[in-house]
Amino acid sequence: MMRHFSEVYALMRRKNKKQYALLAGCCFFSVLLITAYVCIMRAPTILNVLPEGGDSRKQVMMIFALAVLGCAVFTTYASGLFFRQKSRETGVFLALGASRAQVRGELYRELGVLSLGSCAAGAVLGGPLAWGLWQVFRLCVVDTEEMRLVFDPHAYLWSLSFSAFVIFMMFFLGGRSVKRTNIIDIVQESHKSEPIRDVPRWYGPVGIGLLLLGVFVGYMSSSFFVLVLHWYPPEGLTGIFYIPALVGLYMILLHTVVNGWNSKKKLYKDLIATSQMRFQGRQTVRNMLVMTLLIAGAYFGSFYAPMLGTGSMISYDTRPVDYVYNFRADQDLPLEDEVRTMAEEYGVTVTDFAAVPMIRLAVDGDHMIEEEGPVGTTWRTEYEEVVSSELFLSASGYEELTGEPVDLAPGEIRGVMDAEGSRFAFSPNRNLVTNYITKERISVTSLEPLRYDSLFARYVMNDEDFAALSAGLPDEWRETQVCFNVENCAETYDFAKALFNEIVDRSTIEVAQFSGWDPVVRDWYIMKEGIYFLDREHAAEAGFTVINYDQRDSSAFRMDWQYMPAFRILDKADFVKTTAVFIILFVFVAVVCFSAVFVIGYTRCMTIALTNRKVYEDLRHLGASNGYIYRSVRGQVKRVFLVPALVGTGLIYIFYMIILYFNGSPLGITPSEAAGLLAALAVVAAVSVLIYAVYRMTLLHVCKQLAVRRPKGGQ
Amino acid sequence: MLTVENLHKSYQVGKTSYEVLKGVSLEVEKGEFVAVMGPSGSGKTTLLNCISCYIPADSGSIRLGETELARLDENALAEVRNKKLGFVFQDFLLLDGLTVRQNILLPSIIGGMTTDLVENRADQLCDVFGISAIRNKYPAEISGGEKQRTAVARALINHPLLILADEPTGNLDSKSTRAVIRSFEQAQNALEATIFMVTHDSFAASFCDRVVILRDGVVWRTLEKGATGREKFQDQLLDAIREMGRE
Repeated sequence: MMRHFSEVYALMRRKNKKQYALLAGCCFFSVLLITAYVCIMRAPTILNVLPEGGDSRKQVMMIFALAVLGCAVFTTYASGLFFRQKSRETGVFLALGASRAQVRGELYRELGVLSLGSCAAGAVLGGPLAWGLWQVFRLCVVDTEEMRLVFDPHAYLWSLSFSAFVIFMMFFLGGRSVKRTNIIDIVQESHKSEPIRDVPRWYGPVGIGLLLLGVFVGYMSSSFFVLVLHWYPPEGLTGIFYIPALVGLYMILLHTVVNGWNSKKKLYKDLIATSQMRFQGRQTVRNMLVMTLLIAGAYFGSFYAPMLGTGSMISYDTRPVDYVYNFRADQDLPLEDEVRTMAEEYGVTVTDFAAVPMIRLAVDGDHMIEEEGPVGTTWRTEYEEVVSSELFLSASGYEELTGEPVDLAPGEIRGVMDAEGSRFAFSPNRNLVTNYITKERISVTSLEPLRYDSLFARYVMNDEDFAALSAGLPDEWRETQVCFNVENCAETYDFAKALFNEIVDRSTIEVAQFSGWDPVVRDWYIMKEGIYFLDREHAAEAGFTVINYDQRDSSAFRMDWQYMPAFRILDKADFVKTTAVFIILFVFVAVVCFSAVFVIGYTRCMTIALTNRKVYEDLRHLGASNGYIYRSVRGQVKRVFLVPALVGTGLIYIFYMIILYFNGSPLGITPSEAAGLLAALAVVAAVSVLIYAVYRMTLLHVCKQLAVRRPKGGQ
Repeated sequence: MLTVENLHKSYQVGKTSYEVLKGVSLEVEKGEFVAVMGPSGSGKTTLLNCISCYIPADSGSIRLGETELARLDENALAEVRNKKLGFVFQDFLLLDGLTVRQNILLPSIIGGMTTDLVENRADQLCDVFGISAIRNKYPAEISGGEKQRTAVARALINHPLLILADEPTGNLDSKSTRAVIRSFEQAQNALEATIFMVTHDSFAASFCDRVVILRDGVVWRTLEKGATGREKFQDQLLDAIREMGRE
C-alpha cells in the first residue's frame, strides 16, 4: 500500500504515461533534429561547399534559425500542454494541503529525469541519425570522396545549448504551473480561455496586400539600395523591409481565426468552431504564424533539388553540341587526332569536330569603385577604356563551330547569349576592343546578341579585325575552342570521363583558375590594392574555391573551374554527384522544418481539444448531434493545418517566382525555370498529401480525446 | 470553531473592481452543520474560497479555532488545509489514477501521516458511507453519488476541524443527493464533524442546523432549524428566498 507522496506521484505518472511519453518524445525529437541538423551543417564536408558569406550558407543559416525557432516553439507548446493536463492533478494536491515546495520537488524530480533523459538521448542519437541519413544517401544516390561526412565536435555545443534551453524552459514552465497563488485557477486551468480583441473584417484583404507588398519590397530593397542608390546597406537592414509581409501574414491568420473567410450567410453554420477559435485566438495565431514560416522554410529547402535538377537537365538537353571545351594556347591538350583516337578506343564515333582559335582582348566599360563614407560603403562607376577582358571568335570561326553564318562588317561585334537569352552577369555592349599586349585598339559597334548555349559569353568579330588584333598576342592570350558531337551520346560516358581526366591531367597549374579570373582585372587590382582576390594564394581568404585538380569530381571544381569542359553526358550523369551535398542539406532542412510543423499542429489541436472539452459537453446537453460536434471539431483542426499550409505554400511559391522573374535578364521566367516551377509543384502535391495525412491523424486523436465519433460518410 | 469577521473581497475585471464580499461576519460552532445559501453572485463561493485559503481576502478576519488564517505563511496554510480542513467539491476532484481507497487516503499521504491506523480509518469511512464494495474501483467506474461520498470520506480522513463543501450536490441526481447529505449527517453524528456547506439547493440546506443567506455580499438573514422538522424548515427557507426576491 502506498504511503508516500512520491508513490502517489509515480502512480499518477503511470496513469498519464501517454502525456509523459508525448512530452519526452517532443524533447527527444527536437534535440535529435537540431543535433542532426547541426552535425550536418557544421560538418567540414558541408562548410567546404558553402562559401563563407555566400548566399547558400546564409540560406542554410536562415532556415536553421527557423528550425530552431520551430523546435523551440513546439517543445514549449508540448510542455505547456503537458502542464495544462497536469494542472488538475496539481490543483487537487494543493487543495488537499500539499505545500508548493512538496509538489514542486516531485515535479522537478520527474522533470529532471524526463528532460535530461530525452535531451541526452536526442543529443547522443542526433549524430548517428545524421550519419545514417548521409550514408543512406551515399548508398542510394551518390558516393564520392567529397561526400565523406566528417563531424565537427563543436556541433555538439549547439546541441548542448539547445538542450539547455529545452530543460530550462521545462523547469520554468513547471515551476510557474505550481507557483500560481490562486489554487482555484489551477484547478480550473483546463477551462481557461485566451481572450482576443475584436478583429475588423478588413484585416483579411489588407493583410494579403501587406504580405504581397512586403515580399516584393523586401526582395527588391536590396537591388534598390545597390543599383539605384549605389549603397551597400548594412547586414540585416534589408530584412526590415520584409516586416510588412510578416504583419500582413499575422493579419491574415488573425482574420482567419477570428472572423473566418465565409460570408455572413454561412456564419451560423460555423458559429461554434469560429467562436471557440476566437477565444483561443492569440496562441493559435502565434502557432499558425510559426507553422506558416516553417512550411515556407521547408518548401524553400524542398524546392532546391527539383528547381536545380529540372533546370540543369533541360539545359543539358538543349545544348546544341555534345562536347565543348576550350583551353589556353600554352596548354598541350587533345585536339582532333587525339580525340578521335581516344574515341575509337571507347567505340565512340566523333562527328562534326571543329576547333577554332579564340583571342582574349581587353574591353571598355564601367569600373565599379567602392568608397567608405559616413553612411557605409557606396559605389560609383568610372568609365575606362580598358576594364576587363573577353574571349573573341572570328565570324568564320563562329560559323565553323555552329554552322550558322554571321555577317559582320569591320568594327562590328556581337555577344553570344544562351538560348533562352536570360543569363545575367554578361554585358553584350562594348565600344572599344584592345589588344592588351600591343595596345592596338579599334572602336566597335555592338549589334544584337547571338544565341548559342555552348558559346555563352563569347564575342564574335569580323575576320579582318580578328586577324589584326591577334597580331602580337602571346599564347596566354590565345585559346582554342573545341566543339564536337558523337553518335549515341547517351552511351559515351566512359569516353567523356576519360577525355575529361585527360584534359585535367594535362592542364598546368597556371590555368587552375577560378571561373571569372581575368588578367586585365588582375592588373587593375594589383595596381590598386597589391593583390588580386581570385589569385590562388588569396582565393580561399576571399571565400572562393581554390581549384585543385585532385578534387576534379567535387561540386566546387565542376562549378568553378575556369576551363571546365561541358560534356553533356558527363554533366548529366554526374549531376547528382556534383550537387549531392546541396541536395541532401536542403532535403534535411525540409525534413526538420516539416517535422516541427507537424508536432506544433498536433500539440495545438490537442490543446484546443482539451480547452473545449467542457464546451462540447455543454453542446451535447443542448442536444447537438454527434455529427454537428464532429463537424465543429473538424472545422477547428482543419483551420490549424489548412491555413498555414495554404499561406506558407502560396507565400514561398510567389517568392520563388519573384526571385526567378527578377533574376532574369531581361526580366522574366525562362522555359527551364518554368519547368523547375512545375517540378516544385509536384513536391507541393506530395507534401500536401503528407500534411493531409497528419491532419487526419490529428483529427482522429482529437475526436478520441473528446469522445466524438466520426459519423458514417463523414469526411 | 470558525469565526469570520467583517470579511471583504473584491475582484478586478479590467479596470473595474467588483466588491463581492462587503463585510461578512458569521460563526460556526463545533459539531454544527451550517449551510450558506444565496442567489448567483451573492458571494457564497467566494466566502468559501476565502475560508479555504484558496484566495486571499482583502480585509477582515478568519479564525479557525485560535488560528488567524491571514497571518499564516504559505507552508502553514498548506498544513491547515491538510490537517484542519476537509474539502468536498462540486466536481468531486478525485484523481482518476487512484482507486477510491487511495483517493480517501490522499490527504494523509500528502501529510506524511499514513499508518495502519489511518488505513483502518479509511476502511471504516468506507463502511460508514456505504462505499466498501467499490473501494478498489477507480472514479471512472463509479456513480456520481459514490464519487461524492468518496470525496466526503476523503475530507474526513485527517480528522479535520471543519469540512468545507462547495455545492456538493450540484452535479447529482436526487437519489445521490440524499446519499451525500446522509453521509454529511453521519459525519456530523458519528464522527462529530463540523460542516460548512455552500449550496443553492433548499432541499440539501434543510438538513442543516443553521442556514446563512447571503445577498449582495452581506449576510441577509440566518435561519435556525432548532426543533423544527426538516420539511417545515425547507418551507421556511423557500419562504425566505421568495421574500428576498420580492425586496
